[in-house]
Amino acid sequence: MEVSEPVLLILLSLAGQPRHGYAILQDTERMSDGRVRLSTGTLYGALARLLDEKWIERVKEQNSSRGRQAYRLTAAGRRNLQMEVARLKQLTRVAALRVARKET
Amino acid sequence: MLALYRALLRFYPAVYRREFGDEMIEVLSEVQVDIRKRDPVTRIFFAGRETGGLLSGAFHAHLRSITGSYDNGIFSARRFAMKSEFRFPKATVGLMIVILVAVMLAIEKARAISMSIPHANPPVGPIQSVQATIVQTFLATLIWAITAGAIGWGILYALRRTGVQQLSEMKPSSGLRSGK
Repeated sequence: MEVSEPVLLILLSLAGQPRHGYAILQDTERMSDGRVRLSTGTLYGALARLLDEKWIERVKEQNSSRGRQAYRLTAAGRRNLQMEVARLKQLTRVAALRVARKET
Repeated sequence: MLALYRALLRFYPAVYRREFGDEMIEVLSEVQVDIRKRDPVTRIFFAGRETGGLLSGAFHAHLRSITGSYDNGIFSARRFAMKSEFRFPKATVGLMIVILVAVMLAIEKARAISMSIPHANPPVGPIQSVQATIVQTFLATLIWAITAGAIGWGILYALRRTGVQQLSEMKPSSGLRSGK
């Protein structure tokens, strides 16, 4: 499955702890310094896909009288996120080298 | 605004609405509380973004239910995806069969109409050969498309295998260490 920036931010948001939809929206905006503001439709489209691919799973949120759903990473989701981060690190390393070479 | 969002949710497939509808409305109402504190311009942008997001989400949810895949290739301009499991959209086969049957029925119907028309003019012999040519061309195109599709699928499958193999050989922890 492809990992676009919104999907990556959603996965990163769930890497630390399970979160419900609204908390994910707030966290993705905070992580990207307000650059990425997901709409609810986009968020749930991505969540539906991640659930389908079994990268995330539902958990019943604790301390919630409304019994709303939270989401957390599965083992496969965490593994895929680690691989994506490794890929991005490798890419930024190469990019930094290339840019530095061009400047000199 | 919530009434508008509820109305827009009706555009989603029923299964999707049952699964996420209430949750989406709950999130929208929470965001709505936040956005009321902002200036009117921000509120307008928010309403536009949410409306667009819901419409686009509904469209993609329908596309997903038709094609059976999130990577429909029409609107996805992102990098090549190495999926964890390959799914051939079964709906495509059904659609091709329906199109084939429709074309064959249309040809038969045209033949029947041409037979039913009294021959006021000289016999229209050449039409028979044109019809035969159309059928031959259609069959040749179909065979060509199936062959090209099979070759394309084979290439994609081979690429996917290669990609999955590379991914399985990658050690995320070592990759992270080497990045430091």
